[in-house]
Order: sequence, then C-alpha cells, then structure tokens
Amino acid sequence: MTALYLVIPLALLVAGAALGAFVWVVRSGQLDDCDTPARRILFDDTKK
Amino acid sequence: MSALVHVAPVACAHCGLPVPDGRLRDDAPAFCCSGCEIVHAAIAEHGLERYYDLRRADAAAAEPSRTSDHTYGELDDSAFQRLHVTVGADGLARTALYLEDLRCTACVWLVESAPRCIDGVSEIRVDMGRSRADVVWDPERTPLSAVARYLDRVGHAPHPYRGMDRERQRRVEDRTLLIKLGVAGAALGNIMLLAVALYAGLFGGMSSHDTTMFRWISMFVAVPGLGYAATPFFATAIGALRARRLHLDLPLSIGIVAGLGWGAANVVRGVGEIYFDSLAMLVFLLLVSRWIVLRHQRRASSAAELLLSLTPTRAHRITDGVVTDVAIEAIVPGDLVSIRVGEVCPVDGELVEGASALDVGLLTGESNPVEVRPGDTVHAGTANVAAPIIIRATAVGEATRVGKLVATIEAMSSRKSPIERLVDRIAGRFVAVVTTVALATFVLWSLLASVSVGAEHAMALLVVTCPCALALATPLAVTVALGRAARRGILVKGADALERLATPGTIFVDKTGTLTMGKLAVVTWFGDVDAAVLASAVEAGSDHPIARALRAYAPTSRSAKNIREEIGRGIAGLVDGRLVIVGAPAWVRARISIDRHLLPDAIEYWIAELAERGETPIVVAIDGVAVAVAGLADPIRPDAGAALAKMMGLGWRVELLSGDDTRVVRRVGASLGFSPEQCTGNTSPEGKVAVVRAARERGPVLMVGDGVNDAAAMAAATAGIAVSGAAEIAIEAADVYLRSPSITTVADAIAGGRATLVTIKRNLRFSLVYNLAAGALAVAGLIHPLVAAAVMPLSSLTVLASSLRSRAFRSPS
Repeated sequence: MTALYLVIPLALLVAGAALGAFVWVVRSGQLDDCDTPARRILFDDTKK
Repeated sequence: MSALVHVAPVACAHCGLPVPDGRLRDDAPAFCCSGCEIVHAAIAEHGLERYYDLRRADAAAAEPSRTSDHTYGELDDSAFQRLHVTVGADGLARTALYLEDLRCTACVWLVESAPRCIDGVSEIRVDMGRSRADVVWDPERTPLSAVARYLDRVGHAPHPYRGMDRERQRRVEDRTLLIKLGVAGAALGNIMLLAVALYAGLFGGMSSHDTTMFRWISMFVAVPGLGYAATPFFATAIGALRARRLHLDLPLSIGIVAGLGWGAANVVRGVGEIYFDSLAMLVFLLLVSRWIVLRHQRRASSAAELLLSLTPTRAHRITDGVVTDVAIEAIVPGDLVSIRVGEVCPVDGELVEGASALDVGLLTGESNPVEVRPGDTVHAGTANVAAPIIIRATAVGEATRVGKLVATIEAMSSRKSPIERLVDRIAGRFVAVVTTVALATFVLWSLLASVSVGAEHAMALLVVTCPCALALATPLAVTVALGRAARRGILVKGADALERLATPGTIFVDKTGTLTMGKLAVVTWFGDVDAAVLASAVEAGSDHPIARALRAYAPTSRSAKNIREEIGRGIAGLVDGRLVIVGAPAWVRARISIDRHLLPDAIEYWIAELAERGETPIVVAIDGVAVAVAGLADPIRPDAGAALAKMMGLGWRVELLSGDDTRVVRRVGASLGFSPEQCTGNTSPEGKVAVVRAARERGPVLMVGDGVNDAAAMAAATAGIAVSGAAEIAIEAADVYLRSPSITTVADAIAGGRATLVTIKRNLRFSLVYNLAAGALAVAGLIHPLVAAAVMPLSSLTVLASSLRSRAFRSPS
C-alpha cells in the first residue's frame, strides 16, 4: 500500500493542475460566450 | 364583373415571407420590403450567397431585414473614439458595437465575413447572446463609419456599445461563478473516487490505517474546496438573515456547513461517518443550476443597455449664437440644442427653428418619417433625417420619455416571481422544522443509545434533508420551458415572465396585426363594378396600402397616363382617355363637385354606411362623376377565433385596446364575438396605461403590442408581449417576444406558461416528498453515507425527469 502514498498525492497534483488550467481558461475569457461557438461550427472555411 | 384572382403567395427572395402585391416583379426576384432588397443586393455584391444555405440550416423563423440610411459619421468623431476605441500596439483599433437583429447562425456568419468584404477590417467577432460584435480594424485603411455602413447594409444596424462598466462587472460575476463551479466539480470527482475506495472497504475490509488516510485526504479536498465553492450560497443566506428575509439558500448553507464541520470533526476524532461525497454533489449541482439561470438572464440584453447605446453622448449646444460641443450631461432644460441631419436627438425638446422629418422607428417601429414643424415636440432617441433643426430642451437624461421608460422597465425586472417568493417562504418553514426534528432526534437517540449516536443521526438528518431538489425544482422546469419556447419563436425573458403568463386575468390586445392580417383589403364594393378595374389601373404605381388593396381586388394590365398622386388623399389619372379619380371622400368632393360640395345621394349614403361599419370609404369618380365607393378594412386572421377560444378556455378575459378609430375596433371585435364594452378605440398611449392600471386592480394583466406607445402600458401590465415587427425598444421592454404576430402564438405562449407552472409545482411536490422520506429514514437512524449517496442524486434526477416530461411548449405532434 506504500504505492498509494505516492500515487494519491500525484493524482491530487494532476487534479490541481487541471483546475489551474480551468481557472486560466475562465480568466482569459474563453468561456464568456458559450452560445456563438456552437453556431460557428456550421461555417466552413471554404473561401479564403 | 371583376373576379378576385387567387394567386399563390410569392415568397420574398431574402426572408421567405410573402411578398405584397405592389412589390411583385415579372422578371426579377421579388422582396417583401426594401430592407430585404437592400440586404440581398449587399450579399450578392460581396459574394456571400452562402448566407442562404446557412439560413436554411437554421430552424429559426425568418424575419424581414431592416436597414437604415444612416451614414454613422458620429463614429469617426474624435471624442467618440477617445471614449470607445482602443488602439493596440499593432496599430489596429478595437471597439465593441451593439448589433440589431442578430438572431441566427447565418447572421453571425454574415457579420463575421466582413473582413473579406471590407478592406482594412481584420476581424469581427460576434457574441450572439449579448448582441455584440467586437471589431478589429486598421483605422488608416478604413474609417469605423464604413464598417458601420456595411453592417447596416447587411441588415444589422450597429450602435455604440455603451454600458461597458456594467458589462465589466457582470463579466467578473460570471467568471467567478464559473471558477467556483469548476472547483466544485474537481472536488466532487476526487471525493467520489476516495469515497468509492472507502465504500469498497466497507464490504471487503480495509485497514484502519488506509481508512484514516482516505478520510483525511477527503477532508483536505472537501473542506477548502466546497467551502470556497459554496460561498455564493453562504453570501445569500447571510444577506437574507441580516435583512430578516427568508431564502432557500439558508437551509442549504446550514446543511453544507453542518456536514463539512461534522465530517471534519469526525475525521479528526477518527470515528463517525463522513458525507463529503453527497455534499460535493449537492454543491456542484446547485452551482450548475445557478449558472444556467445566470446565462439565461444575460442572454436577454437589458433595455437599459440598448437605450444607452442609442442615445448620443454629445450634443451641440447654442449659447449666444455660438455652437459648442458638450457632453450630453451638460444640457439642462431651456438650452438650445442644434441637431444636424443624420444625428439622433439627444434630449426631449420643443422645435424652435427649422422644419424636418424625424425617423421615430426606434420608438414606435414606424418606417415612415414623421414631419415636424416649430412648436412640435421632439423626443430623445429619434433620428433627424431631413433638415437641420434647433430645439429647446425640455427634458434631459432620465426625465426624457425614453429615460422614464427605461426606469420603469428596470424597476419591473428586479421583482421576484411569485413562485420564487413561495419557495423562499417554504425554505423558512423548512429550517424551523428540520432544526426542531434534528434536535428531537439528537435527544431521542442520546437517550436510546449514546450522545455520539444521537449526534450522528442528527447530523445525517441535516445533510440528507438538504433541499437540493427544492433548489433545482424551478430552474430546471424553467430552463426546459424557455429552451423549447425559443425553438418555437416564443422568446421569454425569464422564470418570472413565464409565471406571469400562467395565472389568468385580462389580456389587452392591440387590433392591428395581432387579430387582423395587418394589411388593408377591399371588403365591400358599392356601385359600378367595372370602375374597380379603372381604379386599379390608376393605382398601378403607388405603394400606398390602399393602392395595393385595390390592385389586389381587381388586377388589371390596363395602364393609366398622367398619374398624379397626392399622398394620403388620393390619386388621379387618364385611362383610355377617361379621367379617373380615386381617393378619400373629402378629397374627391373638393375635386368634382364645385357648387354643392356633395356627391350624389347614393354615394353619400354608402360613404356614411361604410364609416358606420368601421370600413374606410374610398370614392371612385370617372369623368367627374362619382360612380362607386369601396370599403377597405383589415381582414381578421382566420385562426383568431380558435386562438381566442383557447385563451378564454384557460380562464383569460380578452379585450381590445387600440389607438384606432372606435368604430373600426368595434367592427373587428363584433365579428369575433366581443361585446362593445370589451372594445376600446381612440386610446392614447397614456390612456392605455390608465386602462391597464385599472384592470390590475382586478387581477393579472397582459398587454400585447408592438410599439413604444404600447411599451409604457406593457411595463404597467403584469407582463408585456411584443409581437414581430415591433420596434427594438418595445422588444426589449416586453417580457415575451413573439416572432410571429398572430394571436395563435399569444395563445401558445399563455398555454406554455401555465404548463410550466404545473411542472414547477410537480417538481416542488416531488422534492418535498423526498425530503419527508429521507428525513424519516434519518430519524429512524437508517441513514448511512452510502444510503445518502444513493438517495440524494435520486431526488435530483426525479426532478430532472419531471422537468423533461413537462408539456410546456411541446411542438404539436
């Protein structure tokens, strides 16, 4: 079970890193508009 | 004998709606209005036909496009640019614009394609929910006004996006909530993993060493994580306590704090149960629901922001003959203000010099400019289109007609809906009941077993009766309803608006366009029937509604020469050598009967008869002799009867309240079964407000309308419904906006509101039943974290399922 003493803190670190990334995403405004990107997927870049 | 020729309606090549007869072309594509025509041309010119493909892919109903003639010169003004434009290190300028009519994917594509079509624009990014476009462009290569003109030409008139401070504050709020949501989610995931480990240990056996480790780690994740994430609930609960008000967040906060505190204590002591996983799920789900509701609120852009965008920030004040540019706040009543052509009136005032025409479309939705002469009142927000004028300010800022309207609207929108108040009252009783039962449980079990057992069971009770489902009951039902309604072209601004549609009372309907088709048609013809063809020939070139009605009645290919039209009065021309005159009775009388000022007895009789009936009489005279009288009226929609029956079936009383002539209103009402008391005509906007207020004494009132002359009445009513074609202001002022003007959609909106209320009540019943059952189990000492972890999500899922089963706004199958 000593493996757990290593693995669990590592897992928590990874979770913390993921949370940090999420906070960065929110603060940089990428999630301010969640409606328009859903519409944008319907465009293709066919023209230049 | 002229027969009515039935032609299949031609669809507008741009928006797909029917093209009125006066606009039909034989060889070229036809459009329903000049707005659509202009936008179509702009699209073709820039090679953006893909717009129509995207339009088809979107299920949203099409609407005619609106354009204006504004040159947008004020956007290049240096004072404006200092306030609203930022220039980056790369030399590119950035600004935000509020765009009108952004309602579909194709619109977004069209706007975002601007860089391809205007040299110098490097990017335009649209935020549909806020009707906003962020423009990045090179000011050396193109002025902002050119970008604005392009946007106008493609049907999305831009306005400066003022109100940035409020926007910034909102953005911070939104982002904070989202971060807390993320923290709760991350905490939840990890706590659940640890909890599963602990549950596995229950059955298989786990060393106390490992159990302790998992418990401590759970605590270190849960207490800071959930303690931080749940702060929105704590804040509301404390605020409510201070104000001695009741709020649902109070029992929620108690449960969360008790659970976290007791769990932490148990971890430190090394004995007792922990409920971190259930609590984490609770906090996460509640934050999700808060976020969903917040998103909906943000989506409906506020009337105040629109108005801020629309009134100018500067004005030209005249002091001692010298014109100076001042900020609009510097103007006081009595100041002389000069308004140039193309500018928007900054204040309410009296016209003292100059005569011009004003585009009042913003306020009333009218497309034809209104003439103004010295002595007339001019309102802030209207555009001066014809000639420069000077006005003396009578009201500024919030005292203007428009400003007062915004104040009313804002006061209305902060009211809490009845269900929300009910739920808060329930929450109050809830806290009392649960606390008492918890104390009783503690005492009971302390006596039966031991103090720690008593404490365990009391704590379990507090955690498990946490009203998660109760907090979800309303938001879930509302979200489902709003989403479905939007897909059917019924845009509702929030839970409270839905609820206001549910309790029956009185509905006031403006006649035109809601109960009637919204266009004139010939319904009666007295006299020489062959004259109809001649009248139609003379009306060939005119765009007037009466001309269109006559042409539709008797289509002809005969042509007239020497046509002269006197707008609003009549038209005259030569058909095969015969002089044909068509017009209002007074105008025709003045033309053809010099000495007696009266037309033949029969004609006069018919004119009076038609007026009595509420139809507009139009006289046709050939070679100086009046030979026929046409009765024109706005025909009633075929579905009106059924829709009215549906509304009355739901318990509503329908009444007509219109600015039109009383006789006309009574005619429409009579044919639909209204008694004369239910039809009121010749009502001014202030009169409408008075009627609505009086009716409010008797019960809820709905006001259906389409102009700002209705908006004040809409604000005074329990709920306002704006129909398609309304001025932008009216749309923002109303609680509900219907994409189609027909009365059937109004009936659907009301039925949907009622069904939503039914669902909300059902959800509330479920959640209360769950709480009773769970509470009973807790008192009996049967609650264990595993049981709680299974039962609590069950209650939320039940409420979710119940919301999805709602009959509100279901498409007719």
